[in-house]
Amino acid sequence: MTHDTDDTTETDRTADTTETTATDQRRERPQMLNRLGAPKSGVNGDESSRGRRRFLAAVGSAATAGLAGCAGLQSDGSGGADAGQVAFSDFRGSGRLVESRPEIDAPRIADLPDLSGELTLYLGGGEGGLYRELVALFERVYDDFTAVPNAGGTAEQANKLVTEGEETPADVFWSVDAGSLSVVAEEGLTAQLASETVENVPSTFHPDRQWVANAGRARAIPYNTDQLSAADVPDSVMAFPDSPLADGGIGWAPTYGAFQAFVTAMRLTEGESATRDWLAAMQPSVTEYPDEFLTSNAVADGEVAGGFANHYYALRVRDARPDAPLELAFTSGDAGALINVAGAAVLGPSDNAELAENFVAHLLSAEAQEFFATRSFGYPTVEGVPPVGGLPTIDELEPPELDLSKLSNLEPTLRLMREVGVL
Amino acid sequence: MAGSGADSGVRRPFERLRRLSTTADGEPTAAVALLAAAVSAAVLSPVAWLLLRAAEVGVSDAVRLLVSGNTLSVLTNSVALVAVVTTASVVLGVPLAVLTVQTDLPFRRFWTVAVALPLVVPSYVGAFAFVSAFGPRGVLAGVLAPLGVEIPTIYGFGGAALVLTAFVYPYVFLTTRASLLSFDTAQLEAARTLDTGYRTAFRRIVLPQIAPGVTAGALLVALYTLSDFGTPAIMHFDTFTRAIFLELNTFARSHATLLSLQLLGVTAVILALESRIGPGEADGYGSRTSTDTVVELGWWTVPALCLLAAVVIVTLGVPVGILGLWLVRSGPGYAAGGLAFEWTFGLNSAAVAAAAALVTTLAAVPVAYYSGRTDSRLGWLIERPTYVGYAMPGVVLGLALVFFGTKYAPGFYQTLPLLIFAYVVRFIPQAVGSTRSSVMGVDRALVGAARTLGETPRRAFRRVTLPLIAPGLVAGAALVFLTTMKELPATLLLQPAGFTTLVTYIWRVQEAGYYGRAALPALVLVAISSVSMLVILRGENT
Repeated sequence: MTHDTDDTTETDRTADTTETTATDQRRERPQMLNRLGAPKSGVNGDESSRGRRRFLAAVGSAATAGLAGCAGLQSDGSGGADAGQVAFSDFRGSGRLVESRPEIDAPRIADLPDLSGELTLYLGGGEGGLYRELVALFERVYDDFTAVPNAGGTAEQANKLVTEGEETPADVFWSVDAGSLSVVAEEGLTAQLASETVENVPSTFHPDRQWVANAGRARAIPYNTDQLSAADVPDSVMAFPDSPLADGGIGWAPTYGAFQAFVTAMRLTEGESATRDWLAAMQPSVTEYPDEFLTSNAVADGEVAGGFANHYYALRVRDARPDAPLELAFTSGDAGALINVAGAAVLGPSDNAELAENFVAHLLSAEAQEFFATRSFGYPTVEGVPPVGGLPTIDELEPPELDLSKLSNLEPTLRLMREVGVL
Repeated sequence: MAGSGADSGVRRPFERLRRLSTTADGEPTAAVALLAAAVSAAVLSPVAWLLLRAAEVGVSDAVRLLVSGNTLSVLTNSVALVAVVTTASVVLGVPLAVLTVQTDLPFRRFWTVAVALPLVVPSYVGAFAFVSAFGPRGVLAGVLAPLGVEIPTIYGFGGAALVLTAFVYPYVFLTTRASLLSFDTAQLEAARTLDTGYRTAFRRIVLPQIAPGVTAGALLVALYTLSDFGTPAIMHFDTFTRAIFLELNTFARSHATLLSLQLLGVTAVILALESRIGPGEADGYGSRTSTDTVVELGWWTVPALCLLAAVVIVTLGVPVGILGLWLVRSGPGYAAGGLAFEWTFGLNSAAVAAAAALVTTLAAVPVAYYSGRTDSRLGWLIERPTYVGYAMPGVVLGLALVFFGTKYAPGFYQTLPLLIFAYVVRFIPQAVGSTRSSVMGVDRALVGAARTLGETPRRAFRRVTLPLIAPGLVAGAALVFLTTMKELPATLLLQPAGFTTLVTYIWRVQEAGYYGRAALPALVLVAISSVSMLVILRGENT
């Protein structure tokens, strides 16, 4: 088994190299991999592609990953050699942090019914085109599936949906912010998802099954390992002002939405005056940055000893600078450990509910989860899919108990931040 | 040649049309008034949605919101920003127009184009460029810091006012320039032979005549400043648009609409003010255009050139430089997928902007013609409301049309016609303004003279009126074109599925923090819009 896994990793890396050097030659890749001797026998027979996919699922993830790029997930029906072959590794990102992914033990696309037909998809955010890319991969897997995306800001799309009401042309709302999903759900515009669809996702991430989270982003404390050790980062964010962390200087990005959400969470969990005191106490030690990538980068540079940022920014820095002295710490049970999620909902007025629900199920497939984990370094929400970078899994984190939709009430937070002079 | 027998059959309907549209004394008829009123009502319709949503707010809640400290500070901030940006634009735009029209400045054509061009830079791109140049850890801040030059914070009122002025003053420049071009320099010569200094002559003769042009530009600046969201958002300065955005972000649509109504109240005040000090019925535009040198700069040439260079560096050099920097510098160490730039985005942008320019100009003609030809109160009542959409934040207008689109015109929802209608609502005042002033400028005596010389009304219209208002039509269309090119919020809300334009692409990559990827589309946007700026300036016989 160990041997098998090693093989897998090696082959995968080769595939990734191929991908980065010749992205447009995907169709030739099976051949190239054949030459590399990767494929095993048994999958190139006369079985229908549907059967082949079932078989692949049964083989288990290690073997499947080993077959990456070879057998693929051929679209149903056509089965011909010209059909776009999509392999597990096509979903996987590349780069240093992705090089040694373990086997993924979660249900796969092959276990789901085929996507077929046209889906009107309202995108809120979308991680700069990554979500579109995933949709494009689905379209390659299924010949007769088309998604028509309509993109905008998260709140904007939610406002649009609420304004459209029952007349909305949308089938699925897929948004990177839990608050926007809650608002649409509260308006009664979402349809309840089937329990099978969400069974592998912790229940906190599918409230009342009105929507389900496909990926998370955790608040984290990036710190410079040359200046601090993990023990220097307090377990409670409220203890930060009198910690070694504060002595070394802390970077933050108060204009950044995720930071404001964190302060909102603190306001909701600790109360206004405690939050005001905390902001004021932090101020002498902080340096302001325009966004959290730059904050994390400044921590890596040693400009500040630590910072406030979403977890994936540190991973991006480490992906670009493997030697960066940068680690992540997580506080527990408080606003500093907030997890916000991206999720999807099926819209009640949709006359395409079956396809819509199946699409949401696809976002929870092992392939899609691996996509979120390795392309944008998001936290997978399905059990059995670990995050990259050796981070704790999502169920090991200790987020505060908080209704995420309350985070959208930003104005009191901004007022508070302005009062203290942070904004 | 045109008076052959075969032609008379054609002539009659035209004459009827002509008779239908103007009465004997040149006053437009009821038919034109109706058409103008219809256009005016159509572009005002989104306000109905505002009233509908605002009505959902309880009276006490509404009162509390409207008189809350926060709302009052937003009101003060907005009014202050409008006042400062408008004043600064006049202070900057008028001298630049005089310099490029009436002096012997070297390379006048180059400077004319260069100081007009900042208008094509979307304010959100411009503001962002300023922040990355002068903001904390900015490019220029980094360069200047070792030299002991410390840049005051770019955020807040100062930064917002600076950035807005930098990218909207060309409105004043363009309208002032148009007035100066039509100004009969013989009058100035006459004044100077009477031994009056240029400064006195300027104050007593030039200024009164270009005042309508200056005010028209100032009005566009004021209303643009009210409706702009990108700059206050990026500069962290609380204006109506930012407050509305925050309310929408917390899904308090009715609060957002209340604030929007308040914003429209401010708009109404500005419009009323403008019509009080605004266009006197200046006759005589179009008699001839002149770029004759009136003032020889002498040793003033050097400071003048320095001023122009400084303006161009700040308003054009900074944004284009920063975009160039982003273009050559690779982004942060992570790669995005699905973000490939396609040239069709540019085509989409240009096509939809051209369509919007055409439709807007056509819709503007009856309004401009009627209000330009009548002195009645009705003309004023019809023309003024067309400015409302221009002052309405794009996101509010967008949501209003989402509502009307889904409820009453589902067949048009998320199609190009509805998107183009949004652009018409938003930008029609630009077309009305320039068309109206050219209609007003047509000396009625000229038409009369043509008639006396035996021309039919149709031929008089075609040979006299049309050529005279054509530059106004083209200039208005070009202005609509370039503002449509950069419109973002309404475009995002109303875009048809799968229709990507330059701005929606810029939004998409910027939203994810891939600023480097915004450089190419932003430069393409600036390049395409520059062409329409050249059209505007060419139309003025540069």
